[in-house]
Amino acid sequence: MNDVLVHKGMNRKVKRVLGAVGIYCILLVVCAIFLFPCLWLILSSFSSTGSLYDVPGFFPESYSFDAFIKLFTDTSNYNYPKWLLNTLVIAVFNCIFSTMLIIGTAYVISYFQFKSRRGLMKSALVLSMFPSFMGMTVIYILMTQFNFVNNIWGLVLIYSCTAPLGYLVQKGFFDTIPQSIYEAAKIDGATNARIFTTITLPLAKPIIVYTALTSFAWPWSDFILPKLLLIEKDNWTVAVGLMQLGQNEFARFAAGSVFIAIPIVVLYFFLVKYMVNGMTSGAVKG
Amino acid sequence: MKRAFRRLGTKISDSWTNFINFFKVANVNVKASMGLMGLGQFMYRQVGRGIMYLGVEILGILFFAIYGFQWLIGLFTLGTVQGDPWTGKDGDNSVIFMLLGLMSLILLILFITLYISNIRDVSRTSKLVLKGEKPKNFREDLKDLLDKKFYKTVLFLPLLGTIVFSVLPIVFMILIAFTNYGDPIIPPVLVDWVGMENFVRIFSMGDIGPTFFKILGWNILWAIATTLLNYVLGLLLAILLNKKIVKGKFFWRLFPILAYAIPGFITLTAFKFMFAQGGPINNMITSNGGDPIPFLTKDGTWWARGIGLLINAWLTVPSVMLLATGILSNINNDLYEAAKIDGASSMRQFKDITLPFVVFATTPTLITSFIGNFNNFGVFYFLRSTITSDGYFVSNDTDLLINWLYRLSIDKQYYSIGAAISLIIFIITSSISLIIYVKSPAYKKEDTFR
Repeated sequence: MNDVLVHKGMNRKVKRVLGAVGIYCILLVVCAIFLFPCLWLILSSFSSTGSLYDVPGFFPESYSFDAFIKLFTDTSNYNYPKWLLNTLVIAVFNCIFSTMLIIGTAYVISYFQFKSRRGLMKSALVLSMFPSFMGMTVIYILMTQFNFVNNIWGLVLIYSCTAPLGYLVQKGFFDTIPQSIYEAAKIDGATNARIFTTITLPLAKPIIVYTALTSFAWPWSDFILPKLLLIEKDNWTVAVGLMQLGQNEFARFAAGSVFIAIPIVVLYFFLVKYMVNGMTSGAVKG
Repeated sequence: MKRAFRRLGTKISDSWTNFINFFKVANVNVKASMGLMGLGQFMYRQVGRGIMYLGVEILGILFFAIYGFQWLIGLFTLGTVQGDPWTGKDGDNSVIFMLLGLMSLILLILFITLYISNIRDVSRTSKLVLKGEKPKNFREDLKDLLDKKFYKTVLFLPLLGTIVFSVLPIVFMILIAFTNYGDPIIPPVLVDWVGMENFVRIFSMGDIGPTFFKILGWNILWAIATTLLNYVLGLLLAILLNKKIVKGKFFWRLFPILAYAIPGFITLTAFKFMFAQGGPINNMITSNGGDPIPFLTKDGTWWARGIGLLINAWLTVPSVMLLATGILSNINNDLYEAAKIDGASSMRQFKDITLPFVVFATTPTLITSFIGNFNNFGVFYFLRSTITSDGYFVSNDTDLLINWLYRLSIDKQYYSIGAAISLIIFIITSSISLIIYVKSPAYKKEDTFR
């Protein structure tokens, strides 16, 4: 009788340990799957031979900083420093303009109850359902008609002007600011503009930071629009430029990628909490 | 359908009688503004408003007399004079004609809106005066722009930007779908309206039809398969990481987040290299005496499709995991406590508490991710955009509609066919999401959480 009970308890314990081991094994495999391509890229960027073909397996046989040095010094064919500069300029200005427009739109849609509000929200929804580069092909056609291609300011303009359509996450944030905060200021006779600058904006700091960082990060990873509009090599962004590197330039591609991916990854680790909030608010609001 | 028309009919007649009634009770000032914009405002001594409305009318009429009317006609004719680069003769540029016509159409709508707002404005003032209040002067108007009407001030730029860079291009594209614009008919050759011809060409069994249906079939299969795969894997990963037994959750989550954070074009290019004919995987196979596998080459249809599926999972599972983690942390713990007391097994708890809750909370995102995947441009653009398969019109057997659209309009300049296809994509995706959005309780009760 007693033996059976002990045996049963043992059994359960063994089961639990086995379960834990199983779970950790699965986790290890999952992490390996996610880590492996990144590791491959990082190690390849330190490969001393540049081409993809020279390596018998995944990992290079000897390591050096050649790819990085070439990336920044050998600019005759692939001007990586110039691409970095272009992308930086686009990112900085897009960050400024987009953030202003998105925050303004989200605040207004959340705070004011004006007549066409519902209509505007519905139109934004419908607009977002069109395939994203349906408009881009038109912009491309028009830009070629007006000889406005090859201009990074055109890109800044298009990015910032289309940004306000993505206002929903920010609106979700403004929705959480209780109206009672505003009521007090109103009784004191403050105008809406004053309330916005002195009360709303300071309260909205986290979402402003989030918006600024995401719109700063976007030009680093977007490739469709810049590839359409920037034709000359010296006007390329990093994304367009790196895409052009063939298998013979694999180490250079890896080096260039690692160089821009590291800051973006660090950025995302900081932002991940906001991102989850944004996504879950999207889940509830539809 | 009939009822809808009847309802529309009564609505129109209602608004007509409303208008007649409005006209009957309107005072002299309102009628003055109907005749000449701003006149009524002048009669109320609202000089600032009066000047602005009058200015709008003068500028509007001048604009339409000199350019706008011609431009509007140009929208219908799309140019009549064929240019000739050999003799140096300047012809009409149909695309510019279309653009200018569209712009003057938008300006016309704006003008009519301003005209109506002018009447509304003066009749509002007349009501104020009837109540014995003073009409607002210009300084008060300006003050309002920073207070009651602050939303107008703030929304002006975003609206303008959206209209110019989102609405205008989309309307333009819709128009192009009904023309024959595209190689070889590109300015200076004149473009013409062709009605539904492009759509007929897509749906009929000529050169484009068979490709369209093949791609559509694969596109639907792809969207369903990849959405389900990512959803299930992401959910499983989140549930796994949520288990009490797992220590160091933050550490384990770092790896998926790493994959999530790297810009997509980097990972996709890297994967393309990895599976390339001379890439590391095939390198290892050949050095061990095997034949290289045609992962992404012309013959590798199902290899490429499978690899695309897995790569997309690598890219999107992390975001599903993050989302599901957020939702899992929202489940009320009491439910589990109660289940434990009732002696429910952990399997049972999962089936009856965790799963229904998560599925319920993520359904809307499941739909959006379905649509996102339906239009997933990146994966096959990076993996196989240089390949053209036999029996496919400017595309290959892994291309989705959106990839095909890109190749048709950017690589080959078949703009009108591309536009028609993007309209079809829009109709498919919007009808799916419309049904969901309208039916989802979250949408109906948007404001109840405030």
